[in-house]
Amino acid sequence: MPDLLSHLGLGFAVALSLQNLLLCFLGCLVGTLIGVLPGVGPIATIAMLLPITFGLDPVGALIMLAGIYYGAQYGGSTTAILVNIPGEATSVVTTLDGHQMARQGRAGIALGTAAIASFFAGTVATLLIAALGAPLTRLALIFGPAEYFALMVMGLAFAVVLAHGSVLKAVAMILVGILFACIGTDLETGEERMTFGLTFLTDGIDFSVLAMGLFGVAEILRNLDQTETRDIARARIGRLLPSLADLRQAMPATLRGTAIGASLGILPGNGAVLGPFAAYTVEKRIARDPGRFGRGAIEGVAGPESANNAGAQTAFIPLLTLGIPPNAVMALMVGAMTIHGIVPGPGVMTKNPNLFWGMIASMWIGNLMLLVINLPLVGIWVRLLKVPYRLMFPAILMFCSIGIYSISSLPTDVMLIAAFGVFGYALIKFGFEPAPLLLGFVLGKLMEEYLRRALTLSRGDAMVFLERPVSAVLFLVAFTILALALLPSLRRSRDEVFTEA
Amino acid sequence: MSERSGDDGSGRALTPLSQNVAAGLGLVLLGLFGVWASADLPRGTLGAMGPGMLPHWVAIGVAACGAVLAATGLVRGGAGLQAVGLRGPVVVVLAILAFAATIRPTALGPVTTPGLGLMVAGPLTVILAGYASPEARFRELLILALLLTAGCMLLFGDLLNLPIPLFPTALVEAASGRIPSRVLLRLAAGALALTGLGLLLLQRRSARRGGTDVARHSMTA
Repeated sequence: MPDLLSHLGLGFAVALSLQNLLLCFLGCLVGTLIGVLPGVGPIATIAMLLPITFGLDPVGALIMLAGIYYGAQYGGSTTAILVNIPGEATSVVTTLDGHQMARQGRAGIALGTAAIASFFAGTVATLLIAALGAPLTRLALIFGPAEYFALMVMGLAFAVVLAHGSVLKAVAMILVGILFACIGTDLETGEERMTFGLTFLTDGIDFSVLAMGLFGVAEILRNLDQTETRDIARARIGRLLPSLADLRQAMPATLRGTAIGASLGILPGNGAVLGPFAAYTVEKRIARDPGRFGRGAIEGVAGPESANNAGAQTAFIPLLTLGIPPNAVMALMVGAMTIHGIVPGPGVMTKNPNLFWGMIASMWIGNLMLLVINLPLVGIWVRLLKVPYRLMFPAILMFCSIGIYSISSLPTDVMLIAAFGVFGYALIKFGFEPAPLLLGFVLGKLMEEYLRRALTLSRGDAMVFLERPVSAVLFLVAFTILALALLPSLRRSRDEVFTEA
Repeated sequence: MSERSGDDGSGRALTPLSQNVAAGLGLVLLGLFGVWASADLPRGTLGAMGPGMLPHWVAIGVAACGAVLAATGLVRGGAGLQAVGLRGPVVVVLAILAFAATIRPTALGPVTTPGLGLMVAGPLTVILAGYASPEARFRELLILALLLTAGCMLLFGDLLNLPIPLFPTALVEAASGRIPSRVLLRLAAGALALTGLGLLLLQRRSARRGGTDVARHSMTA
C-alpha cells in the first residue's frame, strides 16, 4: 500500500507538469471531438496524430494519445444521447435509453449521468491499473516464450468470441491479419517474404498504414454509400446535474457497470467492446420492471457508460504489463512506444517508471478534465454535429494523407492506404469485421517470434505448450471458449447480447 | 470501431449468389495466393522454423476457412450480396493517389511526377475527394480546401516542423536565398487563408442552405 502511494505520487508529479497537463488536455479535447463526430474513430485519429508526437517526449506523447482514446469514449455518448447515433461503436447501447431520456426533455440529466458514471468508472479503473500493475508485471517476468505464445492465442480466441457476427469469419480475419504480418523481411533469417521484389514492401506493411486504410478510408467509403438528413435534438438540454433521486437510481447500475467493464477490459482480445452490451443486458435482467428499458431508464445510461469507460482504461493493463495489445488502439500505442524506443511489456514499469505511473496518473486527471470538457461545453459539441459529412470526409482524407506521408516520407505509403481502404470496404460489404484482422496483424509478428523461440528451446517438440502448466491452462481456456462459442445454445445468447441494441 | 453494415437493410440482394459464398471464394483465392507467394521460401523444421513455415500454414488456414464458409453458404444460403456504390471508392482512391503523386517528385517507371508540395497537393485532394459525394459543391469545397491547407501548412510545417514538402520544387528553387523559407511559408498560408475567407464571405452573402446531413448509421431510427 505505501508502495502504491509512492508510485502514484511519482505519477502525479509527472502528470502534473505543465507540458503534460497541456498534452493531456489536448488529447482529451481531440478525443471528445472525434468521439462526438460519427465517422471518425480513435484508431484513424491516433494513426493520423502519430507523426505529430515524434517531436514530443515519450511520456507526453503517450499521455496525449491515451487521452484521445478515452476521451473518444466520453464524446461518443454525447452524440448517442442527443442525436441517437453512436459517435463510437461502444456507445451503441447508450442510444437506447439515453436518446429516449433526451426526447423526454431530460437530455441534460442523461448527459450528466453519463459523465458522472464515466468519471466514477474511470477513477476506479485507474486505481485498478495502479494496483494490478505491479503484481501482473511480476507474473509476466516468469513467462517464457511458450507462455507468451499461449497468452496471445488466448487473446485471439477472445477476440474471435467477442467479435460481432460469424465466428468463422472472425477466425479468417485473424489469419489474414497474420498473413499480412508475414510480408516483409523475416526478422530471424533476413529473407524477404512475399515482397515480389517491391522495395516499399521490404520493411513490411506499416501498422498505421493498415489501420488508416481499414478504419479511416474504408469508413469513409461505407458512409458515402448512404446519405441521411439528421435532426439534431431540438429539445432543450435542460439542467445537467441529476437530482438525488436520479443519482440513487443510477448508483447501483454504475457500480455494476464499472465492475463488468473493468473485468472485461482486462481480457486480451478487445473485451472492452463487450462491456456496455453486457452491462445493459445485466441491468435489464435484474431490473424489477424491465419494461422501463428502452423508454428512458437512467440505469440504461449509467450502466453501459460506466462499463464503457472502465473497459477503455483497464485495456491498458495487458499492454503496460505484458506488452500485448488487447485491441487496435492499444496496438497503435505499441507503435507510439516503439517509435520512442520503449519496448512495451513488463520492463516498462521498472525501466520507465515515469512513463508507467505518469500515464496512469494522467488518466485520472484526464477523466476530471473530461468532466469539465463535456458538461459545460456540451453546447459547442452539439454545434459541431452540424458540420455536414460532405465537408468532413475530404478533410479527414487530407489529414490521413498528410499523417501517413510524414511517418516515413513515402508516397507509396499514401497509395497503400487507398488500397487498404478499398480492401476494407470490400470486407465490410462481405460481412467481415476489420478489427480482428488488425489484431491478428499486430500479434502475428510477436506470435511468430515467440513460437519460434519456444520451439527452438524445445528442439522442435510441439508438446512444450502442453507440458508447461501455465501455457497448458491458457491453451485450455482458449479452446474452451472457442468451443463454447460454437455451441448452438451459447451462440444464440451471444448473438442476443449483440443484438440487444 | 466499425459497425457491421451487413444488417442495416440498405443493401439489396443483387444476385442469388449469397454473401458467404462470395466471401468464402475470395478467401480461398487469397489463401492460395499466399501459398503460391510463399512457396519459394524454405520452410525449415519445427525446431528451426524457416521463413516460409508460418506464411505457408497461415495461408492454408485462410483458404480452409474460406472453403468452409463457401460450403456453409451454399448449403444454408444467407444474405445476398450488397449493392456497392462505385462513385465513392473510385473518386476517393483517385484523390488519395493525386496526393501521393503530387506531394513530392516520384519516379513512376519512366515518368517522374511533379513535386508540387502540400500547397497544391492539399487543395487538389480535398476538392477531388469532395466529389465522392453526390452533394459536392465546388465553391464550398474550394473554401474548405484553401482554409484547411493554410491551417495544415501552419500546423505541420511551421509549428511541428514535420518533414513534408510544402511548395512546388520550382518555387522553392526560385525563392531559395531570397526569402527565408519560414517567411515564405507564412506568406503562402496567409494568402491561402485570406482567399478562403474572402470566398466564404462572398458565399455568406448569397443564400444559406438548410438542413444538415451526416453519415447515416445503422442505429438511426
